[in-house]
Amino acid sequence: MQRHLILEDGTVFAGESFGAPATTFGEIVFHTAMTGYQEIITDPVYDNQIIVFATPIVGAAGIHAGAYESMKPTIRGMIVHDLAEVSVNRQRRMNLDRFLKQHNIPGLYHVDTRKLIRHLRETGSQKASIVDFADDHAKDQLVATVLTNKQVANTATVKPYANPGRGRHIVVIDFGLKHGILRMLDDYDANVSVMPYTTTVEEVLTLDPDGIVLSTGPGDPRVLPDSVLTLIRVLQTKAPMLGIGLGHELFALANDAELLPLSSEHHGMNHPIEEIVSRQMMYAMQGQGYAVDPESIDRNKLFVTHRDLVDGAIQGLRHRDYPAFSVQFFPDGAPGPLDATTIFADFFDTVEDYVEHVQS
Amino acid sequence: MLFIGSGPNDFGRESEHDAAIFQVMPELNQFGLEAYLIDENPYSLSLESLAAQVFWQPLTTKNIKNIIHQEDIDTVIPLFGGDRALRIWTQVVQDWQKGDGPLPQTLGLSIEMMLKTVNVAAMTDYLAEAGLPVITNHVVHARDEANDLLRQVRLPLMIRALHPIVQNTRRIVERVDDFDEIFNQVKTQSLTQEVVFSRAINGLKEVSLQVMRDRRGNKLRVGASEDMDPIGIHTIDSLSISPVLTLQDQVLQKLRKYAFDIADLLQLEGTMHVQFAVDDDSGEIFIIKVSPYIDQMAMRTTLATGYPTILVAINLAIGVPLDEIRLPHYFHTKTAIMEPMMDHVVVKLPVFPFGELAESGVQVNRQLSSIQKSVGTVLGFGRTFIEALEKAIRSAHFNNASFSPTFMQGISDDELIQQLIHPQDNRVLLLIEAIKRGYEVDELAELTHIDEFYFYQLQRLLRLEESVEAAVDNIGALKNAKEHGLSDGLIARFWHTSFEIIRTLAQENQIDVTYKAVEPSAGEFPEHAHQYYATYEEENESTQVATDSILVIGNGAFRMGDSAASGYLMTTVLSELRRLQYHTVIMNNNPHDATLMPHLADKQYLEPLEISDIMKVVEVEQPKAIIVSGNRRKLIQALRDLEQNVLIMPKQKHVPSGPTTEQSEFALNFFFDGHDIYPLNITQHTVGKLRILKQKITAPIGIDPEQCPSPGVYQIIWYINDTKPMVSVNTQPIDHDTWLRPMPFGQVAFLNKAMQVQWIRLTVRAMLNRLTEEDYQLLSELNTKCQTQTQIKMIDAHVDYSLHLQSQNDIDSTRFEMGVSITDE
Repeated sequence: MQRHLILEDGTVFAGESFGAPATTFGEIVFHTAMTGYQEIITDPVYDNQIIVFATPIVGAAGIHAGAYESMKPTIRGMIVHDLAEVSVNRQRRMNLDRFLKQHNIPGLYHVDTRKLIRHLRETGSQKASIVDFADDHAKDQLVATVLTNKQVANTATVKPYANPGRGRHIVVIDFGLKHGILRMLDDYDANVSVMPYTTTVEEVLTLDPDGIVLSTGPGDPRVLPDSVLTLIRVLQTKAPMLGIGLGHELFALANDAELLPLSSEHHGMNHPIEEIVSRQMMYAMQGQGYAVDPESIDRNKLFVTHRDLVDGAIQGLRHRDYPAFSVQFFPDGAPGPLDATTIFADFFDTVEDYVEHVQS
Repeated sequence: MLFIGSGPNDFGRESEHDAAIFQVMPELNQFGLEAYLIDENPYSLSLESLAAQVFWQPLTTKNIKNIIHQEDIDTVIPLFGGDRALRIWTQVVQDWQKGDGPLPQTLGLSIEMMLKTVNVAAMTDYLAEAGLPVITNHVVHARDEANDLLRQVRLPLMIRALHPIVQNTRRIVERVDDFDEIFNQVKTQSLTQEVVFSRAINGLKEVSLQVMRDRRGNKLRVGASEDMDPIGIHTIDSLSISPVLTLQDQVLQKLRKYAFDIADLLQLEGTMHVQFAVDDDSGEIFIIKVSPYIDQMAMRTTLATGYPTILVAINLAIGVPLDEIRLPHYFHTKTAIMEPMMDHVVVKLPVFPFGELAESGVQVNRQLSSIQKSVGTVLGFGRTFIEALEKAIRSAHFNNASFSPTFMQGISDDELIQQLIHPQDNRVLLLIEAIKRGYEVDELAELTHIDEFYFYQLQRLLRLEESVEAAVDNIGALKNAKEHGLSDGLIARFWHTSFEIIRTLAQENQIDVTYKAVEPSAGEFPEHAHQYYATYEEENESTQVATDSILVIGNGAFRMGDSAASGYLMTTVLSELRRLQYHTVIMNNNPHDATLMPHLADKQYLEPLEISDIMKVVEVEQPKAIIVSGNRRKLIQALRDLEQNVLIMPKQKHVPSGPTTEQSEFALNFFFDGHDIYPLNITQHTVGKLRILKQKITAPIGIDPEQCPSPGVYQIIWYINDTKPMVSVNTQPIDHDTWLRPMPFGQVAFLNKAMQVQWIRLTVRAMLNRLTEEDYQLLSELNTKCQTQTQIKMIDAHVDYSLHLQSQNDIDSTRFEMGVSITDE
């Protein structure tokens, strides 16, 4: 069945429907990653977004039990050029099309995605809608729609939960985390407590963490309550801290830096990221709509550790006084290169130093 | 700095190394470095490069040593000449004596690592020690020793005899119950009663990665491809597809990590191709081959992604770190450090020589195995797998006759099953036929070890073809067919009409081709793209490059015969057109051909070469002229019927047969500039050898210029039943049965080098009425101005036809040439 994608600027694309035949609204972004569609669509960082895939064929690797980044995808749509209906699970019953149907997410295939991406690269991200008919009514509705800014609340856990291990105790503050972070912590056999972002300093300190992770998450970090920044300001003085993605942006805000919205959101895994001190390049999945404003950094508090060699955007920060650091990119490699998994090694080294220091 | 070329063409050795060396030598000049080159391939363009001092000498350790001493070479770059150059250089290094002076340094790879690279067992051990997954071999003498191993190694196993007394002792053990019998049998086939075990990887998925690494240890992935055919079929003979589609991200990232680990272990400064075996069921991964030098995958990846692998590799070899590489202005400034992303699909198809051989009565074993049988490669570009596949098939065959839906109807069910298990060159058609006959996808996947994805795709293709066939003249069906890459010609076949009718019907209904750029950012950044492929979508990105352009039609895949020479010739044509300041457009689909080097042409169309594909490009570019090789008579006629200005590089329809073992073929060679005839020399051709006589031609040649259709080098041929090298022959009057033909391209290449005259460039200038005063002067004083080096000969290279083709009868090495050398020995 033919359905349509309409953009806020009035542009319309026709495509064939797959997934659910639902009408949705969301922010449209494009993604240049060639693999990892399942991880991408299940990553809460894409909450409320319609994702255009540059890779020409999506679905050929099926849906795998080991490739969920959250249990429930909350994207608002998937736009692809060609769809493959391959199922690889034991029942041979789950392919991308069925998966999206199950979660009431619409998709369009047979779209000139290259034209769409070339368009979006000029206009930047904008509101968009997937509808049956691209008539004036649908366009008016799109213009009138106000997209939610409560994406963190939509995706983060409301209750604490544990992912027990026998190693160091790591408290993860959840802003809509991706499973990749938990998998990496599991590699270090960490004993993990995941706390909602509404938690308090007392609650976290009562758990006596060896380290704290500020998780990834969707949306604009500036709309979160100030209590989150206060929480970070206190906790960074108490235990080693690692911020990732949204967690990095919050870490920057908590230390008085400011964010700049990117003219066009950047989603992909092919930009070289330089670790400034070693001049080593690495590649990692990036999904960002904001970057830390270099002008706003208080050099008495923070210094820049990583930058994107393509656009120069800040990709990593470290605190001058505390064992706290953060990265804009996703070092967990789910999906994406494993080049940057050393960030977790650095974090656990810091945790070990801290534990030793406290014990002595 | 001395480059070592890759020598004569052979199975798996087309023009990729020559193209690589040709483009990197000027780069060295820019750094103020002097380039030298040794090679013996007469079809080498690099040997005519002005950017280097060149030596046409056989690639022997002695010659290489001599050049090093003569020219005070302090650096050698073997990696651009591929495995052959690396092996020869390794030999030189091993033979180096104290008295030879200081050994030149090697760029790109240390000597220690070179030695490992050329020794599979040493490399395997090295990788295993580093904890990387390789296939390990276990040698066993007695049955009870095997018990321990049986517990460690997963089934299936491959067992073969150590020091075998018969050929091919390889056996696969699928079940433990079969072990005893097979073990005992194989043991008796060993001279020493020893048996080698390893994990059998036949049937696993083969995946290739191409990576770069710089001196600082920075690495990036250029591209990856997966073979549709499982391990057991040589990767060059496999249908392969890029990007990788059927692997999960997690698996592909693991492969990437292994490839990076290997690049670090080798301390590589350059590019590397790593082949993996992947077991989809168990998740196991094995490294099966490491190639830290330029090979065909490097060239394919360059073309498929738009990432300038070769240019970046030379920068890395001379020590420029990735983030400091300055690429020519026509690349985005960050291209060298961004991992290329693809928004298109590229299907690689091998081209086999079986058809042409069968036509000339040579029967060969057509079954595909781990020994390479294909002689050429084509790429099909599209936005879906089906589109890319259709275009690759059309590129491989020049026409759609062998792709007719009825082609495989005659095969029996038994034969079908046999060929599913033991695939031949026609396997894509066979798979489609199997689906047509109702075999289930999971059955087929199990039988063939091909990923189900491909069967679903072929099912789609079949449904598409059926729907097109059933809907004659239906515009919806036409649109659908065009969007999936079916050519006008194929649709015409379905609808029993002509391609012109289909073309007009599509035009009238606004079903228009859209060209998309091949560029490494997948649309993220505006790039200065110059490579395009056709698809049927909404946005067209290609507009006329200039009003004075010339379109050059490439020769497509290499076939047995003179493909390397044809590639050399067309590349020279492009280069001359550039020199004459025309804008140039090339159409081709062979990634190993030098015509597709970056920016040799202003624009490249990576397309099949059927008349319908060409006319669509013509509509966009409106070229002033189209240059076509003379053997493509149907195409020339079709283009002329459509009122195109066609310029012909003179060539016979088929590569001529060579002389028999008792004969000499003599040729009186002359150049025709469109008006007059200029005698050149006389050549003697015996089996496997071509030489030039010292004899000067004094009398005019009695040929009516009308007999030569266009400017070029021609020859009058006659045979004498004597194979002795002659000093002179009687030419006036020629009292033998003689005939006129355009000089075969291979001989033109040879003549260029022996005479130091660029006959191809002169032909191009003559065709375009651009011959200069100097040209005419040269032509009128050839006898005095041109020092022909008559001691140089062209001889057949030793190509192991029997290993690759297992043919029953002799193969005419002129008509089915694979490789030749020039030598003055």
